[in-house]
Amino acid sequence: MGRERSSGGLRGLLPGLAIPLLLLSWWALSTAGGTGAVLPPPVRVAAVLTHPFTDLMSAGSLAWNTAVSLVRILLGFLLAMAVGIPAGLLMGASGRVRRLLTPTVEMARPLSAIALIPLSILLFRSRTLSQLLGLGHLRYQRHILNEIQLGMIFILFWGGVFPIILDTMQGVRSVRRLHVEAATVLGAGRGFIFRRVLVPSALPDIFHGLRMSIGRCWMVIVAAEMLPGTNSGIGYLISYSYQLSRYDVMMACLVIVGIIGALFSRGLEALGERSLVLRSRER
Amino acid sequence: MSLPATETDILAEDLSRVFEEPSGRVHALGPVSFAIRRGSFVCVLGPTGCGKTTLLRTIAGLEAPDSGRIEIGGRTDSGRSEIGYVFQQGALFPWLTVRGNIDFPLRARRLPRPERAARCAEVLRMIGLEGFGDAYPHQLSGGMQQRVALARAVVTSPDILLLDEPFSSLDMRTSRLLQEKLREVWMARRTTVVFVTHNIEEAVYLAGEVILLGHRPGTIIRRETVDLPEPRSRLSADFVELLVSMRNTFEELIEEDGAARPLPGSDRASGMPLS
Repeated sequence: MGRERSSGGLRGLLPGLAIPLLLLSWWALSTAGGTGAVLPPPVRVAAVLTHPFTDLMSAGSLAWNTAVSLVRILLGFLLAMAVGIPAGLLMGASGRVRRLLTPTVEMARPLSAIALIPLSILLFRSRTLSQLLGLGHLRYQRHILNEIQLGMIFILFWGGVFPIILDTMQGVRSVRRLHVEAATVLGAGRGFIFRRVLVPSALPDIFHGLRMSIGRCWMVIVAAEMLPGTNSGIGYLISYSYQLSRYDVMMACLVIVGIIGALFSRGLEALGERSLVLRSRER
Repeated sequence: MSLPATETDILAEDLSRVFEEPSGRVHALGPVSFAIRRGSFVCVLGPTGCGKTTLLRTIAGLEAPDSGRIEIGGRTDSGRSEIGYVFQQGALFPWLTVRGNIDFPLRARRLPRPERAARCAEVLRMIGLEGFGDAYPHQLSGGMQQRVALARAVVTSPDILLLDEPFSSLDMRTSRLLQEKLREVWMARRTTVVFVTHNIEEAVYLAGEVILLGHRPGTIIRRETVDLPEPRSRLSADFVELLVSMRNTFEELIEEDGAARPLPGSDRASGMPLS
């Protein structure tokens, strides 16, 4: 079933676009008169989207702000992955590690990204990646490294790490006992079983965690870009354009966040599909 | 039972196993004592729940006995002889191909790549799996999957091969085909084989010796040599005669055993204990 869905490609996606298209046409109709409508008509939003390199409100172009957010999200996500997967694997494989870390994870998890903004200001002030790398403030003001604030990466990491930890741990713990026993009688040691049985068994769950995580990162980016001193990013553009009543820009940003978020999720799903198919057949 | 040490491959003394269940302690096995000669083919036969599987798992080191001891190739520690184990079903790794599954124990032993490839090719040929090396387990029928499991268990050329009702979930034709295959492998390699089953026909066809376990907690109630001319045939008069006589004897023994040690709430005395 899952396999057919993925092989359909773009054509398979079309039925799923019915609801967004319906919303779009309703929106277009409701704003057609041009009077009293709160939202700008879709044509004006489309005009913003089709000129991605035009400067908007002196805050840089749409493409630039999207790129800045993308880099931030990828950094936060990669950090979450680098910490979350090993932590989840260890917590799944060892009861001792699990007992040691579970209380911490459970207490840290409910803290929302927004609740962490003050903390991240205290911890990181407005230090950026270029400062961390000892590059000082790079000469060109709009250099990507100048835009990567450590506090943001911290918030994105926080938002993304817990789904990865919990799903990875769950994946390792749901390994079939029979497979572990089979590996044991086949002469595999603990390390070999960990690498060649536990990790592949957990792979579908790890991919699920990664999908949840990247989704969370896109949700959190808006909060992360509320940090003081921020003057770039798609999340920043959303709040800034709202303040300046440029609702066309605001709507364009929302569309972009939605589309890129969906693309990321689908990409990870496609990567994880193979392992999922193999495991589900066996159950 | 007093075999010279060099000829004994598996030695069990007063082995027993008790499980702690939420409903209380369950005495699952024993005490049993036996010696199995190197290179022999032994079938462990018994009714459902008699502890056959537990016995096999204890030999494999997957479970520790609660009392008694077990010696494999003269050693009691876990770093002992090479053991091959075939589970009932579903023990193949679904994320690996047939070749990947068979390669798994070789990789775990850090054998060099050319040797691994050569050994894989050899068992694939021996078990009749040529051309299936790159298939995934879910693409194969149950019979083919058990072939792969058998190939994976013998690829390391183990001294001892343990099989836990490996063909019981297959249809009769496939099951018989694989029984023949297993005998071929045994003839070629003369590995010590312990084969657990509840099917007396399977046991008589395969084994050089049958160990009969009684109801839970299973103890040995009979040990019988199967002396049939080779090559064995299910259609030969010798085979049919022996099968009928052993079935009668064994069913009587199991019934007596059940009557001697009744368990409340158990209906095991009714019906056919062996199929």
